[in-house]
Parts: sequence; C-alpha cells; structure tokens
Amino acid sequence: MTDSATTLVQGTLDMLILKTLTLEPLHGFGISQRIEQISRGVFRVNAGSLFPAFRRLERAGLIESEWRQTENGRRAKYYILTESGRKKLNAETKEWSRQIAAIARILEARG
Amino acid sequence: MALLKQITAALRTLLHRREADREMDDELREFIEASAAEKMKSGLRREEALRAARVEMGSTESVKEDVRAVGWETALETFWQDIRFAFRILRKNPGLSTIIVVTLALGIGANTAIFSVVNTVLLQPMPYKQASHLITIWGENKARGYDLDLVSYPDYLEWKSQNRVFESMGASTDEMYTLTGAGEPAAIIGYSFSPDFFDVLGISPLLGRTFARDEDQAGKDRVAVLNFHLWKTQFGGDPNIVGRSVTLDGRAYAVIGVMPQSFQYPPSVELWTPLTIDPGYAKDRGIRWMRVLARLKPGVTIGQAAADMRTIVAQQRNAYPNTNKGYDVNLVTLRELESGDVRPALLILLCAVGLVLLVACANVANLLLSRAVARRREIAVRTALGASRSRIVRQFLTESILLSLVGGVLGLAIAYRGVRALVAMFPTTISNLSIPRVESIPIDSWVLGFALLASLLTGVVFGLAPALQACRINPNDSLKESGRSGTSGMQGRRLRSALVISEVALSLVLLTAASLMIKSFMHLVQTDLGFHTDHVLTMRAFLPEYKYKTDTQQIAFGSEVLQRIESLPGVEAAGTVTFLPLSGWWGTREVLVAGRPIDPAAKNPRPVWGSVSPGYFRAMHVPLLKGRYFTDEDNASNANVAILSADLARALLPNEEPIGRQVMVQGFDKPRQVVGVVGSVYQLGIGVHQAGVKSEVTSEVYVPFAQAPSHLLCFAIRTNGDPLSLAKAVQREIWAVDKEQAVSFVESMDQLASETMALQRASMILLAVFAALALALAAIGIYGVISYSASQRTQEIGVRIALGAGRGDVLRLVIGEGLLLTLAGILIGVASAAGLTRFLASMLYGVSAIDSMTFVAVPIVLACVALAACYIPASRAMRLDPVIALRYE
Repeated sequence: MTDSATTLVQGTLDMLILKTLTLEPLHGFGISQRIEQISRGVFRVNAGSLFPAFRRLERAGLIESEWRQTENGRRAKYYILTESGRKKLNAETKEWSRQIAAIARILEARG
Repeated sequence: MALLKQITAALRTLLHRREADREMDDELREFIEASAAEKMKSGLRREEALRAARVEMGSTESVKEDVRAVGWETALETFWQDIRFAFRILRKNPGLSTIIVVTLALGIGANTAIFSVVNTVLLQPMPYKQASHLITIWGENKARGYDLDLVSYPDYLEWKSQNRVFESMGASTDEMYTLTGAGEPAAIIGYSFSPDFFDVLGISPLLGRTFARDEDQAGKDRVAVLNFHLWKTQFGGDPNIVGRSVTLDGRAYAVIGVMPQSFQYPPSVELWTPLTIDPGYAKDRGIRWMRVLARLKPGVTIGQAAADMRTIVAQQRNAYPNTNKGYDVNLVTLRELESGDVRPALLILLCAVGLVLLVACANVANLLLSRAVARRREIAVRTALGASRSRIVRQFLTESILLSLVGGVLGLAIAYRGVRALVAMFPTTISNLSIPRVESIPIDSWVLGFALLASLLTGVVFGLAPALQACRINPNDSLKESGRSGTSGMQGRRLRSALVISEVALSLVLLTAASLMIKSFMHLVQTDLGFHTDHVLTMRAFLPEYKYKTDTQQIAFGSEVLQRIESLPGVEAAGTVTFLPLSGWWGTREVLVAGRPIDPAAKNPRPVWGSVSPGYFRAMHVPLLKGRYFTDEDNASNANVAILSADLARALLPNEEPIGRQVMVQGFDKPRQVVGVVGSVYQLGIGVHQAGVKSEVTSEVYVPFAQAPSHLLCFAIRTNGDPLSLAKAVQREIWAVDKEQAVSFVESMDQLASETMALQRASMILLAVFAALALALAAIGIYGVISYSASQRTQEIGVRIALGAGRGDVLRLVIGEGLLLTLAGILIGVASAAGLTRFLASMLYGVSAIDSMTFVAVPIVLACVALAACYIPASRAMRLDPVIALRYE
C-alpha cells in the first residue's frame, strides 16, 4: 500500500493531528488509526512522521500529554488538545478552506 | 508563554536525558503493541503481528533521532560533540596545529594592534558634542599658496554676524606664557579662546568652569583654565586648584577650571585664557592672526556652509581690495584637521596588515586542505556510517573556527604588546604637527570585538575551502583506494596551487611597498637640510613682554647670554634665531626689491624670516656663498642689512648680483642692504607637509638680531662633544642673566631632525616588518605545497630513479613545480603592485611609485627565497631510496 502520507507537508499533518484530538484525547496509535479511518485509507501516517509532529506540537503548546490507562489496561501516553491548539486549528481550517476554494476555482476556470 | 515552555522543556530533556529516552522507548513500545493488537484482529498471530508492526515503524533509533531533532537541545549536543572531536583531532597533530595557531596569531595580532591605533586616532569620537559639526574656517589665497591662513578680526566679526549656516562661531590664537612662582620658570604653550569658544566645542570642564561672556574685557580677563596634564604635573593634581592664583608673565591669573584628560584642543596646549583684542589689531583687516571654529546648524552640510561663506568673503573682497584681494575661504572639518597628517600613513598600514592576514589565511587554508585530503579515508567511513554532508562540513568548520579562536586569543596578547611598541614609535608631537596626543592606546571593547570578528571570519574563510573540498571526495573511491593509483592527493591540487600563487603575489606587493618606503626614507635621511644637525644643542626661550618691553632690553639679554655661552668650554659657536629650523615654528615676511613697482596680486616671494645673531650661521654650519655673515658691527647705529638664502636671491634677482642691492622686508619701513647670500635651509624639514604650506620652504631672509630683536629666541649651540651634556651649563648661564627666564625644548638638533622623520620612519619599519612576515609566510606556504606534492609523488619518483633518472633530474622535477608557481605569483604580484603603489605616492620622497630598480630587485629576491623553500623537499626527494619509495603508500 502506498504511503502517500509521507508526502503530507509538515503543516498539514499538524493540522490533521489537531483535528483528530478535537473530540477526545488519544494516544499515538489511536491518532494514527483515526487519521487513516477518517481519510478512508488515503492517508497513512507512519511513526517516523507522527512522533516528531507530537513533540513539535507539544513544544508549541498546542497539545499536552499525560500517561493514562488504555481500554486494554496498558499504559499509554495520551495527547490532549489545548485551548490555544483549538484556536490554531480553527484559524488553520479557515485558511485551508480558503485556499482549497481558490485552487478549485483556478482548476475549473475555462480558458 | 510558548517560548518559556519550549525552553523549560528543552532544558528538562537535556538534563534528564535518560529519562526522556526511556519515556520515548515506552511510548514507542506501546505504539507497536497497539498496532500489533490491531493486526491480530484481522487474524495474525501475536509474533507475526508484532513483527509486522515493528517493520512498519522501521528503526526505533531512527524515529527517536527524528524526534530528538525537534527542539534545539540536540543542536547544542551536536555542537558540543563537534567541539570535543575537534579538540581531539587538533591535539593529535600538535605540530600542524601549532603552526596554524601561531600563523593566525601573528596575522590577527598585527591587525588588531593597527586597528587599535586607527580606532583611537581616526575613529574615536572626539570629546565634543556632535564633533562632526565642528568646522575650522581659514583664509585661502591660491596665488600665494596659502590654504590655511589665519583670519583678521574685522573679517571674523563679519563672518560671525552675516553667516546663515553656523549656530555658533568662536576665535582663538596661540599664546606663550612664562609661568613663575611654581618651581622652575616654565614656558607654557597657551591658547586664548573667545569666551563662547568652549560652548562652540560643546565640552564641560572637569573642575570649575570655563569662561563667562564678559571675561574677554580688560580687567576681567585674568582667568585661566588648565589642561589636565599641566594640572597633574605642574600643580600636583591639587584638588583645590580652582581659585588658586598663578603668575603668568608676571601677572596674576585666577585658575577657574581644569579640563578633562580627553580634551586637547589644540594638541599640546597646556592652558587657556580669554581672547582679548589688541586695539591695534581690532580695526586692521590686513593683520591676520585668529583661528576660527564654528558649529554647523543642524541639517546644514559643509558644502552649503562653504557656499555661504564664499559669498560673504566675495563681498569682503570687493569692499576691501587693499587687504582682501585674492582671498577666499577654506573650510576643514575639525576631525580632518586633527588627524589629517597621520591618516594616509595609518590607512596604508591598515591595508598592509590586512594583506598579511590574507596571506596567513591562505597559508593555513593550504595546510588544512592537504590534511583534509589526507583524512579522506576517515571522511569516507563517516559518510558510509550515515553522516550527512552538512555534518561533515560543520565538523571541519568547527575545527578551523576553534583554531582561529585560539589564534585570536594569542593574537590579542600579541596586539597588547604591539600596541605599546606602536605608541613608542608614533610620537605625540612632531615639530608642531597636530598629531593627537596618545598617551596610551587602550584595548577597548571595539578592539576586542574586532579581534573576535577577525578570528571568526578567518576561521570561516580558510575553513570553508577545505571543508567543501572534503565533501567533494567520493567515499567509494576513497575506501577502495590503495594509494598506488598515483592520482592520490591530486584532488584539490588546483586550489592549493591557486592559494600559493596568491600568497606569492600578495607578498610581492607588500615587499615592493616596503622597499619603496625604505628607499624613500634613505633619500630623506641623506638629503642635505642646508645645515648640519650633528653636535648642535638647541633650546628655546620666550622673553615675556612685560619684562622685556624695549628693543635694548632684548638685545642686551641676547648678547650677554651668548657671550657667556660662547665662553663655556666645549662650545665651538653659538647663535640665536627667531624660528629654529625643524622646530615647526615659522613666520614669513614679504620681500621686495627696493624701487620696483608693487603688484599686490603677484606671487611675491614670501620667505621664512629670521632675526639672527652673528654666530648663528657658524653654529649651524650654513655655508656662506657670497658676501659676508653678520658681524657685531651690524647694530642699531649702523646701516640696515639683510642676508638672503640662495633660493630667495635667485627668485628676487635672477640674473643680477644680489650683494649691495636694497630690499624691502615687510615689517621694516626702511630698505635693507643685502650683504650676504647663504645656503638655503629646509625650514620645515623634508617630506613633511606642514598645514598651510604644501611646498617645502627653502627661501629665507635674515636680519641681525641687534637691528630687529624678537621676543622668541631659539639657541643653536655647536659643541665639541655630546651636545646634551652641556644643556645644564647653558641653562645656568641663561639663568645667571635672568633667573626667571623659562627655557623649553632642550634637545639636540639630531633629536629634532629624527622627530621630524618619525612618521616616515615608523611607517617604513612597520611596512618592512609586515612585508618580512608575508614573505616568511609565503615561503612556508611554498615549502608546504612542494613538500606535500613531492611526498605524494614519492612512488612516481621512485619509479623514475629506478628507471635511471639522475639526482639532477629529480631536483629539476620538484623545483620546477615550485618555480612555476612562484613565477605565476610574481607576475600577478608585479602587475598588482604596479597598480597599487600609487596609493603610497603621497608618502614617498624622491622615489617614484613605479621605481624600476625596486620592481626588478624585489621579484628576484622573492624568487631566491622561493627557490630556497623548494630546495629542502627537493633534496629530500633526491635522496630517496627507490626501493622504499616504491613501497610507499
């Protein structure tokens, strides 16, 4: 299966991670699964991209982490969206939509 | 907030490295577990699921590396690793490292030392408020050759009231005072300022106050402001000096203030008094005696100010043709006035020392390049193990920066020493030339910053080439290489050759410049000044006007003192003159042939004049060419006489017999008869550009002291033995006649002559030192390259010898390469030198900037040195045992 997630630009991956955390905190694997699920298999992000992104986001204060118990009784590091993370996600989403609409217009323009 | 979080997080990770690592391990392990659990749902067994999950993630270490790369603490760690590694490498090669550090230290040290001097003398802010706005204003008369002429009082008043470009203007003039009542009578060089002058300058006193507005009026003007130096030396730094009374010229002056140590306007002035206008000068527009300083209005440029002043002066020209015809105005910034004399020399030295640093860098780059190639195996291995190119470049750069920083620190120590030597070489006063007094040149923060910058820059400059070179090496080839291929080490050869050629070229330029300076200096020393400087004791006395009011008093003093001096044992001849040659003091008077019509605009000779005692010419060994010297009969009761210098006689009476002719000397109503012609004398010395007169003055007119006494007497005493040994005896004779008479500038004529050439000498010595340094470095560079090249070709040479090549052939092989490089360098160097030495022209005397002899001799010398440098590796190559050579790897 092609790993088209590796072509995801850093900033986009960050945004996707933030998005997946809006509903509830997740651990690393959970985030990876969620992204794959929601994108219907288009994006598969590997650990090598995810974990640096986590650290980046954490350093930027957009997410927090804490160790919790999973459903299976194991301990895992969960990531939680912070207030500033939520704000940033809103801003990025707006900007992203704007750009997508513009690209769509350009691609559909005749002549 | 986020920044703080970042920093704390980074620090925490740094400090708790292992814990952070373990946490990372845990998280990744959980990820794999969760991933495996997911896979087991689709039917895989546990072991297979785990394996699949691990394969998906890839190398755990790699992931951890990527995570660690986020955040700057990793960069810090890497940096620290680089430094430790660099230290180890450098320590393994102590010889090489030492050479490099020493080379750099010399280069950086010399640069820092010169920069300190330049910084203090040329760049240091002057202690005045907004010093760049201070302009000195002079009269200019191109027809007569003056570009810095003094100003008359009526002219000054009009300038002050009519200008629209200056916010303030003040006037000043020099004074000579005799200080009595505090130890030995001392001759004080004073200066009088118009009351607002200190305000124009914009500086506050250290103690007390400066002049009040009304203190230039008679009765209120007996106040004085002291120089810091005078306060410390003459008055012992008395904290209660303000209010104390001092006796100047027999009059009581109250000390009202002391200026800070940084204030020296003009240089070597010790005391300031208020400027009072002599009623005789107040209305006379033709008597020019003042120096004018003005402060520009904010936003006005010196060009605009010059234009405004020129219109005012033009009006004056039209309104007063008798006195102002031919006069214009010249504006010079204060900065340029104070440092102008030294600036060309300093700038040239700065360039020279910069060149030396370049040569040093080239040398070091060469050495490092060779080593980089030698380390290619190491680089290959590291690349194979995964080091990125940038990492390797960074590593090499760290090494070179480390070397240069160490070199920089050492260089700073050298600079510290060097600066002290420099201060000794650059004298503070050279016959009245205004060189700012520099008691000590501090190593201040600017200089430290400069040294640091120089170190870093050199590190980057010479480190970059080897670093990039190292990267270009293909690791595959290096690993497979066995050294027998014969092309080993040839990488980077072009760069190394280019470096050596540039070194040779640069040293050639420096050597040529130094040789020109040396030649010029020799000329200077050998040129006849018109008199003999050996065995002449000089000293100067200024007869205070309050005591010596009449001519008779002055003449009596002069003759009595001379009689006493002449009777001293060891004295061959003694005389006095108003302005001692080479003292930097001089006065000029117009001289006309009596009876000829006067043309005010014509370039009439305006020679230096002197009032001399009969014994003067004999004391100075000024030759008599025609007629006779003055005698004791040439006194006030006999005919007025004069003696001309040969150049003046030629200018005034080109084809006629001067003896017996009558001349008019400015300042004397009656004509004077010419009784003698003497040899011309360089009043101001040679190769010295005294402000105000660009050409060298050799026209003199002399009148007998007994007919025209002056208050200024300079003694010239020819002695049998060491002139200074008689100094005390002569002073005693002077004091026997007048115990309050101050005597100053006691020195031998040789000393004086040496001082006038001090700037030239200092420049020459420094330039020669730098050139020698560059030559040595270039020689080392050539040696290094040839030596390395020869060692790389060891096998080839072995083969040749085995095949029958003789010693001579091998010699030619090795030296040939060296000579080729040298030749190329010489060609480039000669071409550059030919273009660059013109900047030296202003400092050369009697030598053209493209002196052919120098341009031929220097390359030959350089070639010989290069040959010698090649010889050692060549002779080593010659003695190679072919068997060993062939096995060399």
